[in-house]
Amino acid sequence: MLMTRQEILDKLKEILVAADSGNKAITESCSEQSRLKEDFGLNSVNILYMVIAIEEAFGIYFDDVGVNSFSTVGEVIDYIEGKLR
Amino acid sequence: MNPREYFRQFADAEEFERIVEKPTVTAMWRDCTAEFADRDAIVFKGESYTFAQLESDAAGFRTVLDNTVKDGKRVGILSANSYDFVKAYLAVVTTGRTAVILPAHLDQRSVFGCSIMFGLDAVIYQPELKESVSLVKVPLIDITLTSDEKTGMTDCDEKTPCVMMFTGGTTGKSKCALLSNGAVMQGTVNGCYGISPVFGQRYMLVLPLSHVFGLIRNLMTSLYTGSTMWICTNNKDMFRDIQVFKPTVLVFVPALAEMSLSLSKQFGRNMLGEELKYIICGAAAVAPYLIEEYDKIGVNLLQGYGLTESANLVSGNPESLKYPDSIGFPYPNQEFKVVDGELWIRGKNMMDGYVGGDESGFDEEGWFHTGDLVSIDERGLLRITGRIKEIIVLSNGENVSPAELEAHFNALPFIQDSQVFEDVAENGKHILALEVVPRQTVLSKMDLENPKEYIISELEKVNLTLPSFERVNRIEVRDSDFERTPSMKIARYKKC
Repeated sequence: MLMTRQEILDKLKEILVAADSGNKAITESCSEQSRLKEDFGLNSVNILYMVIAIEEAFGIYFDDVGVNSFSTVGEVIDYIEGKLR
Repeated sequence: MNPREYFRQFADAEEFERIVEKPTVTAMWRDCTAEFADRDAIVFKGESYTFAQLESDAAGFRTVLDNTVKDGKRVGILSANSYDFVKAYLAVVTTGRTAVILPAHLDQRSVFGCSIMFGLDAVIYQPELKESVSLVKVPLIDITLTSDEKTGMTDCDEKTPCVMMFTGGTTGKSKCALLSNGAVMQGTVNGCYGISPVFGQRYMLVLPLSHVFGLIRNLMTSLYTGSTMWICTNNKDMFRDIQVFKPTVLVFVPALAEMSLSLSKQFGRNMLGEELKYIICGAAAVAPYLIEEYDKIGVNLLQGYGLTESANLVSGNPESLKYPDSIGFPYPNQEFKVVDGELWIRGKNMMDGYVGGDESGFDEEGWFHTGDLVSIDERGLLRITGRIKEIIVLSNGENVSPAELEAHFNALPFIQDSQVFEDVAENGKHILALEVVPRQTVLSKMDLENPKEYIISELEKVNLTLPSFERVNRIEVRDSDFERTPSMKIARYKKC
């Protein structure tokens, strides 16, 4: 069964919190509009963690992503949703 | 104690006798191709290349080099990690030429600048980076080229320049360290000390070959020991690659070791594979927590210390579990001196000097001043206590080393990283401040009502054990990680 965007967001939020050791901005106000770098302050190691953990948790494969491939949480959800279809 | 004898106790007796010094990369590579000919040297994008195949491809590329830059001595290599990189690098250095390793992220103006500043005679480039070499005026060589005509190796001596590697040096200004064949080979052999078994291992390359830790400790030691090295093409795939290749040795920076541990905890399985025996960790301070946690899953996380200027390896700690705060015992053929707390080195592994910039790097007696502050205990184990350029001079004239203080706070298992820095308080007074990043994997198991309050109270307890002038005046628990440099080190604050 396909996941809803909200379900993807919830799972992604867990990953982001783990990627940046309990980042408070993520736990308190993670929305589709949140910007990974500007709002959450994620660095290259955190983004690498995020990508690896998404592949593991959602069972998908990112084609070729760099640190700057995604700007917002919504863009990450778009990508996951596209891969899950 | 004689350094080589110190490391003997951690090795198999027969294997230890096989760890012998070789004067040049050519001499080493000739022995490797004879001894390990049919063994896999490199695995890249699903293809395995034996030592014999690698030498055959390098021999074809030597012909390409001779046809393009017959008398050229300095050849730049601009490429991401790949089999072709290894082939081209070996071809260059086994003809007595110098490989100038250009980081793959350099833009076209920087590559052009390097070609002038470092006096390059040619640049070998990866086709995907063709745009980056578009301004260069010297001959360009596509790294994928080959020739059916094979050219043999050229003998040289240990003083022959071998590689030039980018470094910020002790002053932070970018330049190249010129390493001789003798220095590169000393660094390569140093990488063999402290792990057992050492020959015939499976290495995985994650760090860039433009970094001395990737080039010497990872690639060169892997070749020297007849090991097989899997080259990761994308770091995000490293755990998938690990499941396939099952490495026995990984060369990591601490941030990668921390990330791997967190992922393993999040997904409830050892992401690094069941056959991994060693993680060689360096380039930044290693938290004791990491060493202990890896020990629980049967992995020895060994920390060491080195510089680009010293062909990577200065000291290594095979007893990291016993002495987690030490960067270990010095490797052979080095002389040491500690002057006003700073480590000075002289030895076979040291560079010939810098190229670019106006620093020589050495004093008139040939000592290299590392800029790192150390202490040495009665066993001869080294500990880093700070970096000279990071020393904070307080208004009362006292010197404070942030790294030394951070080590106290980082010893708490729920602290992942910390940074001590000088800041200005609201009243204009200069103060010492501390920011920490908590380690959530530990905190979450502690069932705390107010984690932040608890962290601060524990940090305060540590703070009170310090001499009064070294105590921090303000503690902040961060909600996110620190900014990181491209090599995943913490970007230090410069607030004053």
